[in-house]
Amino acid sequence: MRKLFLVMIALLLTACGGGGSGNGDPAGAVQRYLQAKVSGDAEGVRSLLCAAMEADVEREAASFATVSGASIEGMTCARDGETDRVKCEGKIVATYGQEKTEFPLGTYSVVQEDGEWKWCGEAS
Amino acid sequence: MRLLAVLLFGLLLTAPVAAQNAPEPDPFVASTYLNAINVRSGPGETFAAVTSLGKGIPVRIVERNRVGTWLHIQRDDGAGGLILDGWVVGGYLDLADNLRYSELPVNDSLPDADPSSQNSQSMKLLYAVPVMPFISPAMHDLFLKGLQMGNRSNAVTKVGDSLVANEYYLQLMNRPDNNLGHYDFLAETIAYFGASAAQPSAAARVGLSTAVIFDPMWADSTRCEAGETALDCEYRLKMPGVALVMFGPNDVLHISPKAYYDGMEKIVQRSLEKGVIPVLFTFSYNPDSELWQEALAFNLSLVEIANQYQVPLVNLWAAARIIPDYGLDTDLVHLKNSGFEYLNFANGNEAFYGVAMQNLLAVRVLDEIRRGIIMTSLAG
Repeated sequence: MRKLFLVMIALLLTACGGGGSGNGDPAGAVQRYLQAKVSGDAEGVRSLLCAAMEADVEREAASFATVSGASIEGMTCARDGETDRVKCEGKIVATYGQEKTEFPLGTYSVVQEDGEWKWCGEAS
Repeated sequence: MRLLAVLLFGLLLTAPVAAQNAPEPDPFVASTYLNAINVRSGPGETFAAVTSLGKGIPVRIVERNRVGTWLHIQRDDGAGGLILDGWVVGGYLDLADNLRYSELPVNDSLPDADPSSQNSQSMKLLYAVPVMPFISPAMHDLFLKGLQMGNRSNAVTKVGDSLVANEYYLQLMNRPDNNLGHYDFLAETIAYFGASAAQPSAAARVGLSTAVIFDPMWADSTRCEAGETALDCEYRLKMPGVALVMFGPNDVLHISPKAYYDGMEKIVQRSLEKGVIPVLFTFSYNPDSELWQEALAFNLSLVEIANQYQVPLVNLWAAARIIPDYGLDTDLVHLKNSGFEYLNFANGNEAFYGVAMQNLLAVRVLDEIRRGIIMTSLAG
């Protein structure tokens, strides 16, 4: 009985760890990345950007510097099964002068690096 | 009374015939409709004013500059002696309807400016750049490479921020009601490129800058593939032989001169890889702005890049210096539209409205490319 109890505890802990190995939630990582990008948070972008795109940190952090009032509306993100893709709904809205401009959210690639999920560009 | 009626009736019948038989006005005679205009020693506002021309005084047009925006005029004393000889802005003259710029001799030996008239080194350097470039042999080779890659010789696109995305810039080329005024020689070029120019560009967008044109998030998700940049997307969709590129007014507000240089260089390099002739444009800027020196530096970056890669550079900055408020609208950032929803080079619009000048220079450089490269390449 005791053995069975210990096995059940172990199974429960494994289930709570999420799909696959490593910490964090890939959809949450993507959402945090997009928030950092939209707000121009360079450190946030750097910490959530995958190593393969390290050279694009400055560009990513300054992406919305030329528009004002950039914000995300209606964002929901979910991992596509057990794949390395996260699909997001919603949009980024920004203003340039008097004009509003929108950027629909899409599907993004994620990778695990050092146990953390990182955003790694748009997924095809 | 009866005789008077018959006489009057006869006059009425002969009047239209008399009008038809009246000699056409001399197309090379004009006068200014303004109270007085400067007559300069060369075809640019940096040349010294040698005299002024008063309203209604007839002058003879001798030749034009390469672009067509300045005219060389003369006036004699009736005995063969010249009493006036210099250059004026063509848009300041009341020109005969039957004047055709194709029939005017072209003086392409005189520069567009006298840089020595400027105190600022930056201004000297910028004024030294011709308004209309001479197309380098490297662009001829690039064009052929582009054809082999599948680019379309008669396709042109535009790349830039809101000043380029403006629907009144370039996209009017295909309209049937375009009025070329005296620029008759541009008709074939407009017909050649018009259909492609009419389509909005995926690489021209409000708020776009050299910093983000390579960020796929800024690409139009309805037309572009996932992960594709706005530039690559537009080049894939349109397969253009030529791209007209202008960034600056937005960039100068937000990024450093080095970042601008790097971004523009990357745009040029990517265009060359794709076999697309990238025609760069300097941009007009408000000299009273606290960013005026930065704007000059950005424009000089374009000169350096154009020289290094031998790509064409249209000096819109210099051309716009004659226009009220340097061609800028009330926000002193965007170019001012003339209000016409078609290309209208009649009545000297290019001398008064920034977008009219922008369109004229775009069509002119396309004309240079079509005559100098495309026609000879396709014939060979």
